[in-house]
Amino acid sequence: MTATTSALRGRATPAPTRGSGGRSTSKAARLIPSGIAWILPAFTISVGLIYYCIGYSGYLSFFDWTGGRSPMFPVGIDNYVRAFTDPIFWTALRNTLIYFVVVFAVQVVGGLLFAALMHSRIFVASVYKVIIVIPVVVAPATLAPAHIQVWQTDGTVNQILKTLGLGDVAQAWLGQSTTSLIVVTLVGCFGSVGFGFILYFAGMSQIDPEMIEAARVDGASNLRMLFSIVLPNLRPITISLAILNFITALKLFDNVWLITQGGPAHSSEFLGTLIYAQTAGTSRNVGYASALSVILLIIAISVSIAIQRRGRERAVKLEEPADV
Amino acid sequence: MNKIRTVSAAIGLAAAASLILGGCSATTASDTSAKPADSGKVTWWGYTPDTPVAQKYIAEFNKKYPKITVTYKNFENVDYRNTIIPALDSGKGPDVFDLSPSGGTPEQWGPYALDLTSLAKAQLGADWESKIGEGYAKQLRDAKGRLVSMPMGGMSAGFLWANNNILKQAGAEVPTDYTSWVATCKKVAAIGKSCLAMGAGGADTFPTEMYHSIANSVDPSFFLKAATGKAKWSDPQGVKVLSIIKNMAKDGIISSDVLDAGQYPLANEKFMKGNAAFVQMGFWYTQYSGAESCKSAMEAAGVSNPTCFVQLPVTFPDVAQKGNGSQLFGEVDYGLAINSESSNIGAAKTFVGWLTTSKSGQQDVANALDLLPSLQGTAPDWSNISLVDDAVQRPAIEKLIAESVTTKQTRQYQTTQESLNAIVVATQQVLDPSVNTSIDDIVAQQQASSKASTVK
Repeated sequence: MTATTSALRGRATPAPTRGSGGRSTSKAARLIPSGIAWILPAFTISVGLIYYCIGYSGYLSFFDWTGGRSPMFPVGIDNYVRAFTDPIFWTALRNTLIYFVVVFAVQVVGGLLFAALMHSRIFVASVYKVIIVIPVVVAPATLAPAHIQVWQTDGTVNQILKTLGLGDVAQAWLGQSTTSLIVVTLVGCFGSVGFGFILYFAGMSQIDPEMIEAARVDGASNLRMLFSIVLPNLRPITISLAILNFITALKLFDNVWLITQGGPAHSSEFLGTLIYAQTAGTSRNVGYASALSVILLIIAISVSIAIQRRGRERAVKLEEPADV
Repeated sequence: MNKIRTVSAAIGLAAAASLILGGCSATTASDTSAKPADSGKVTWWGYTPDTPVAQKYIAEFNKKYPKITVTYKNFENVDYRNTIIPALDSGKGPDVFDLSPSGGTPEQWGPYALDLTSLAKAQLGADWESKIGEGYAKQLRDAKGRLVSMPMGGMSAGFLWANNNILKQAGAEVPTDYTSWVATCKKVAAIGKSCLAMGAGGADTFPTEMYHSIANSVDPSFFLKAATGKAKWSDPQGVKVLSIIKNMAKDGIISSDVLDAGQYPLANEKFMKGNAAFVQMGFWYTQYSGAESCKSAMEAAGVSNPTCFVQLPVTFPDVAQKGNGSQLFGEVDYGLAINSESSNIGAAKTFVGWLTTSKSGQQDVANALDLLPSLQGTAPDWSNISLVDDAVQRPAIEKLIAESVTTKQTRQYQTTQESLNAIVVATQQVLDPSVNTSIDDIVAQQQASSKASTVK
């Protein structure tokens, strides 16, 4: 089994591997000078603009400024102090964490499940694939009115509950602090499973059938093959999904704003909606919004690095038995 | 060869960058002292009025100034706030733009606008301030005393709009206090309609209207005292206001879907669909009393082939039942500012001057029933206005106008965004059945999150 695992790791996976491409390094190096000249203008402008904006946000975060030609008052680190002492900021962070954990878990489990199902011989598989992937490609703004219709007080969910004789369970899902975050998270899950499915389906396609066959010959059960062959091969995808999901949760804005606007009473607030509210209100706080943006950026980079390192450590641990 | 390519790319990049930067900084020379002109092209951006109303204004304006072409672009409120500053900064903003007093916009947007004091003097004379709504000029001045926007008209709030058809069908009376309101709501509920259409969800500040109205019934001086730091939101009056709101939900005045969404679209659609007996909207809602405008408002709410109902402005019930009654509150709704970098300042001055200070322009504003005209002594010309039920609606609207122009309480001008947001959160907390926090704790949080206004 160990040998199988080790052999599997040598296979190409959807994520780039460190070992691949070494053969063509010198060739690539020869190509860079001529290629870079062509992309340099676009590269410089796009990257320059992005990093300029990040730098400018950092600069603005030390000012009290309402934007435009209004005067800028330097306030030092006050905007950061305000953020860390603002209970709404911590509510937004807590909501981000909850959203990430739940949506990521549902995406991994749902994505794997559907990918595994689609790799087996099922009737009209193509139709199912389309149905699973549609929520990924439809814009949140298009689906938001439907989600509101489903979850509002006289909406579909409550009508179904009443039809089933569960009228006592019916409630104002969007208008309660205890349920608004649940709705936003479920809406996030709705769109995420399809994306997980796409990546896992592609990842599973690249697992060497010989390895599966070898495992079967060794007498491995389906569950054993899932945990010992399939999942280890899909680890780079899972790590990528974790990073993407966390960044999505940090930047989450569209669905939340369209469905609850972060309410009621900030119960479904996220960093994205909090930043937007600071810039879109009649009383604009561009400095504070910039400080929140910088904090968001730092969290995004830190957590992405942490997840990647954790993933590498686990990969190294799994390699160890093979090296012994 | 590679070096040549790299150098070429760098030169191309430098050229592109210089073009972009040049484009960014390019501004059109403008003559801020230009005199009103009889020809030109004017672009006007605003979040209000609705496009059909603006087109009526422009059509009337063009009868007198046919050589000036005015193009109006309407934005949703938030979109407007997010669009206007970048547009003005880029030097490609509109020639004329809406500028309101709330939220400190004279300070934020005023730097892009001409000082229109001389235009006001030229149009109305040296005593021009006494010829427009009281306080309007003050509310549209920036800290330096520049009149950054010419008042278009005022608005009032603190009353309800009633669907007279529903009340008749239910055999219910217009409520005058809390007890009669509960009784009316029971009769309305008996015919399968909602009583008060209200949307207090989201981040919109509409719930502050309800809070302000109830506060006026509890203690007419409390709201503005708390807004300006002379009282605390956590004072007994504040506790009483939130208690009344909580009871209104418990007693069936406010429906259970109140936090599903904001006033727009939730309450507006419910009322315009004819599903609710009351809604709290301001003076701007008067325009939907019109025989034709009501149809478009109902269609916009999702009603096909609408049959208009009779909507009436009614006094906000004395919900505290202390004998304080209710008071309207209002201020200048918005004004028209002229972009100081406009290349059409002459034509823009003509348009703004005509619409905000001329008898004919302000008559059109009055007839649109959207605003209280800024120019004093201007009243709707009822011979040109067709209401759904003239006999019933006209006296009620005339009474509303008379009371609105004499109101002494401001709506949001003296209340900071922080205080407005805190009111919204406090209101949401008392209306949220899943919140167990006591009203004393809620008002304490409200006070802590608020910021006293320094506006006198």
